[in-house]
Amino acid sequence: MNRDELVSYIPDTFKDKVQLLDTGRAEPFFLIKAENLLEFSRAIKDDPKLHMDWLSCVSGVDTGEHFEVVYSVASVQTKIRFDYKVVLAYDGAEIESVQTVWPGANWHEREVWELYGINIRNHGNLTRFLLPDDWDQGHPLRKDWDAPDFVRMPEK
Amino acid sequence: MGIIKKLPVYLEKIPGGNIVTTSLDFVFSQSQASSLWYLLFGTACCAIELMATGASRYDFDRLGMIFRASPRQSDLIITAGTITKKMAPRLRLLYDQMAEPRYVIAMGGCTVGGGPFYYDSYAVEKGVDHIVPVDIYIPGCPPRPESLLEGCLALQKKVKRLKMNDWS
Amino acid sequence: MSESRGLHTKEFTLNVGPHHPSTHGVCRFVLKMEGEVITHVTPVIGYLHRALEKICENRTYEQIIPVTDRFEYCTAMSCNMAFSLATEKLAGIEVPERAEYLRVIMLELNRISSHLIWLGTTSLDLGALTPFLYAFREREYILDLFEMTCGQRLTFNYIRPAGVSRDIPPEFIPKCREFIDMFNDKIDDYERVLTENPIFIARNKNIGILPPDVAIAYAVSGPALRASGVKFDLRRDDPYSIYDRFDFDIPTRENGDCYDRYLIRIQEMRESTKIVRQAIEQIPEGEIRGKFNKMNFKPPAGEVYCRVENSRGELGIYLQAADKEKKPLRVKMRGGSFNQLQVMPVICVGHKIADLVAIMASMDIIMPDVDR
Repeated sequence: MNRDELVSYIPDTFKDKVQLLDTGRAEPFFLIKAENLLEFSRAIKDDPKLHMDWLSCVSGVDTGEHFEVVYSVASVQTKIRFDYKVVLAYDGAEIESVQTVWPGANWHEREVWELYGINIRNHGNLTRFLLPDDWDQGHPLRKDWDAPDFVRMPEK
Repeated sequence: MGIIKKLPVYLEKIPGGNIVTTSLDFVFSQSQASSLWYLLFGTACCAIELMATGASRYDFDRLGMIFRASPRQSDLIITAGTITKKMAPRLRLLYDQMAEPRYVIAMGGCTVGGGPFYYDSYAVEKGVDHIVPVDIYIPGCPPRPESLLEGCLALQKKVKRLKMNDWS
Repeated sequence: MSESRGLHTKEFTLNVGPHHPSTHGVCRFVLKMEGEVITHVTPVIGYLHRALEKICENRTYEQIIPVTDRFEYCTAMSCNMAFSLATEKLAGIEVPERAEYLRVIMLELNRISSHLIWLGTTSLDLGALTPFLYAFREREYILDLFEMTCGQRLTFNYIRPAGVSRDIPPEFIPKCREFIDMFNDKIDDYERVLTENPIFIARNKNIGILPPDVAIAYAVSGPALRASGVKFDLRRDDPYSIYDRFDFDIPTRENGDCYDRYLIRIQEMRESTKIVRQAIEQIPEGEIRGKFNKMNFKPPAGEVYCRVENSRGELGIYLQAADKEKKPLRVKMRGGSFNQLQVMPVICVGHKIADLVAIMASMDIIMPDVDR
């Protein structure tokens, strides 16, 4: 399945649950709603034409206006690769864990939780991860984050 | 170190004792300087250069430097690589476990003063001298093996100058 | 057995690391042990978390390249490559032909040098000192080649968006050919020391078996995946740069144990020499860098995830750019070791504690890749 087929196949199959984003020359990007996340993830894995069995990466993003969580998925069998993301408001940002679909999501989600403060439902192991055990300065990858000993590179 | 430290005090009372003291000084400092066993401590990029320095082409052994896996057996700790805030207490612990006299070489920009992670990083300890006392600083990112050898030779010079009285 | 003699073994907790010579950096394991057998493994990471992703958010695109060097220093070229690819894809930049060849030559030489680090440290972990000295001896030849090209031994800053930073000197090609000609014999040397070595086999065979379905579920990539019998290599299956022009094999094995992972890497070094040999034969003359405004590069808004195959598997860069901004909104780095370490608790259980070292070594986990 090439890029053009994929771009029409996924919206045809999942109807109004997904929305294709225009990202120019890059690989296809889809936007889905947070409540459909688990269902969609399971569906693309089980779909025989897609068979997305490989979760490359889960990245949290703070755009300055809202949070995004980007899932980069691929398939070992069908060689398809695309990304999809959910958009979350700052207040009460929360998503469902996709560990039941891809067990490897565990650490990626823990990282999103720790560095952005996005709560992961049904994760089961949200404990300190990359930061020191006694860390109490919040979620450092947020855009508005600051700390007393944090030095920004001065603008020239 | 208790007896050795007291030795000059007793020897000085004996006529000609000073000769013994200075000779002993010479023997001790020479042997110490030519057998600086270093702790196998590496966190990041510099650790690869440390390994390369220990391996075939550069060959640390000719300076009498052999790696040790345990801090109890080592005289020298080369902080090869970035020390983060999470790692800092561990480094202090390792340093405390080493027997005196002990030396520290800060290898690479990160351990000298934050290096490439000085700006915009919330996790890096900016300079290893906040945690342990440093004898020799080696700049570079990462320093070439030649710089590391130069640093070790400088440390040897420093060790050779030490007297028994200087031991803490 | 101990029960029958009236002895009781109690489960106890053992801490390994973060400073441990065999954890290849600063990884910590909290082990639950039943006698000498591991019943539970909890990796504790973050001892090398340097906030590279935060740093990238306050750098221009050209300035990010040296930051990616520090992300995965054993194969810094592929980090440069992944980020350059992402930038090029985002802004639609063309790369000159000669630059593509230079990239492939450097990437493959870097793969060999990374595998040599792995070979040296692994054999050291398992008690063999000789291969360590052998491997680092040959590695220095590769570093000489890098040094004459970009002046650095480890953190190259060489592959840039739209090309490479400088051309190779005229003596590079003969030196490189000399190395390639010599290197296959040297691999035979390593094999002579290790492949048939009874101690090495006893430490590695049937240790840390990674079934293919577990590997895929945890997204374990690279040699560790191919040792489990899954023929998946991004150079073939999601081709980037000009890898589709070269003739090389993707070695696979069936058992997925430590010994197979060793054999795969040895084989990969041979395949890499094949690629380098073809690339230095075919390399054309020409420009080495396309159009790229170093100081004032402002891509259109967009996002892209780019992945390359490095010596540890899939190295991915997710890049999100704000519209007409000099600095990216988000750079996320995904290293192969992150997922390899994550699968350790699954495959270590039931093995003896000494095998933890062998498994960790054979997975080729290095910590900057995990912690960033």
